[in-house]
Amino acid sequence: MNKLTGPPEERVTAHHTAMIEIIKVAKSYPPNVTALADISLTIASGEMFFLIGKSGAGKTTLLKLLCNMEKPSNGLIEIAGMNIHQVTGNKLAKLRQKVGMAYQDFRLLTNRTVAENIAISMEVSYKKPQIIQDRVRNLLAQLQLEDKHDILTGDLSRGEQQRVALARAVANSPTLILVDEPTGNLDAASTEQVMDLLARCNHSGATVIVVTHDEAIYRHTRHRVMKLDNGRIAGLTQGSSSGQPLTAGDQDDAENMDKGGELP
Amino acid sequence: MNFWFAVIRQTGRNLRQTWTTQLITCLTVSLSVLIFSFFYLIYLNMLSVGNKLSDNLHLVVYLEDEPGPEMQEQLRLKITQFDQVEAIRFISREEAYHRFAQQLGDNREILTDMPRDFLPASIEVVPLRTLRSLRQVKLFSEYLATLPGSQKVQYGQQWVERFYSFIQLLSIIVLLSGSLLILTATFMVASTIRLTIFGRQEELELLKLVGATNNYIRTPFLLEGLLQGFGGALLGLIALYSLFQWTTHHISGVGFFNLFSFTFFPFSTISTIILLSILLCAVGSYASMQKFLRV
Repeated sequence: MNKLTGPPEERVTAHHTAMIEIIKVAKSYPPNVTALADISLTIASGEMFFLIGKSGAGKTTLLKLLCNMEKPSNGLIEIAGMNIHQVTGNKLAKLRQKVGMAYQDFRLLTNRTVAENIAISMEVSYKKPQIIQDRVRNLLAQLQLEDKHDILTGDLSRGEQQRVALARAVANSPTLILVDEPTGNLDAASTEQVMDLLARCNHSGATVIVVTHDEAIYRHTRHRVMKLDNGRIAGLTQGSSSGQPLTAGDQDDAENMDKGGELP
Repeated sequence: MNFWFAVIRQTGRNLRQTWTTQLITCLTVSLSVLIFSFFYLIYLNMLSVGNKLSDNLHLVVYLEDEPGPEMQEQLRLKITQFDQVEAIRFISREEAYHRFAQQLGDNREILTDMPRDFLPASIEVVPLRTLRSLRQVKLFSEYLATLPGSQKVQYGQQWVERFYSFIQLLSIIVLLSGSLLILTATFMVASTIRLTIFGRQEELELLKLVGATNNYIRTPFLLEGLLQGFGGALLGLIALYSLFQWTTHHISGVGFFNLFSFTFFPFSTISTIILLSILLCAVGSYASMQKFLRV
């Protein structure tokens, strides 16, 4: 059996305690479009995880299930031991405060300033105004957007909007960060800033899941990479973020997947 | 930052962004409050005018014969059977003659050749000084006409009936303008909140996704409703007070109105109108939220 596609209990190395447990999850849309089928996966707390695949492979659908924007047709998703699709009301709100998501379409409020957009995620958890202000300035500095503080996000370029969306996702120091195509509109320098920011969040303990097409950001990664194809897991590299270096085989797996090839 | 601070900031931000719609709603509410309280103020003042006028209201039952003490007692019993009264006075023929002579003053010599009992004996009935008595005065007079020995019943029929019709008309107007207030306050606020919700759908969705609690999302809308109710009522009452001041200043000195002192609402009524307006707007806001805010 392929070491990367075997049963969940064998194929996943839980580094610490599990942050995300996905068990036999399927998602279909009427009339009979299967977006995801039989997805089982465990992502450890503090892990950085890359999710790749062609357009329409089901990557964004999986993220939407993880942040409870949609419900699975079948199966179970647990975050920090909680079945997120059974959590409602204030408990769900508290859970969402701990999950930061950067959407592919950014979901910025274009009639609000950059600072206001980033502040939203902290305001809902009643952070003090001074703390919010400091955090906003700090994040803008990290993403080299200091001069955009009071600019309406509608007036920004797509690349700038993308970075603001990411800043909002990480602003409230969430324990789980879900990022959908974070570097799609960015040049190499901005991509590096974004990946540095995500790496810092990861080092400070956050679990980070990155959905991407950009092979430059996962090609030589030490973290696990999972490929989705037609809503199914097409491959999963072992990674070595627990401290073990990537084996040559793992590297090849990742590279194979980049080319859309099957895992050995 | 606590919940209320965050919610008030959110409300302020929303009011700033949608101030034109909010202002129109506030003005509509204030206009409704003005119309309602205008008629209610007239109604209250007319009631007090009515009370003053009814001080002089009494019914006179002219009798065929002068009743003896026993008969007087029976008549008194019969009258109080119908309704409680302020006073019942029996006027003998002799007393009626003296009153008439007094009224004639210097012309009393025309009575010289008249017998002292040419005027009929009568009963003066003073009803209680309430609006209910005023309303029942016609019925009362009909009842008094059926008393044994009663010839005719007299009271200021014309003015009492006209005044009562006027009060009735006013109470209908007060009811109608009250309904107008309920409709505008509730529906205008409901539709403003609905428009705001539609206009901010994207933001509300985002707030939900970043972990805002239902109360965090809903409370600003409720506060907006409360503010519109409060602001609208306050504006309406201030406008009415200015109108009242202007009117009383301009009609003072005009004959008939000089007889009465017109008063503005007491503090308790002002508070009640403001609270009512706040309550109605809150209901409108809440109804809209329940229907359109999917959180």
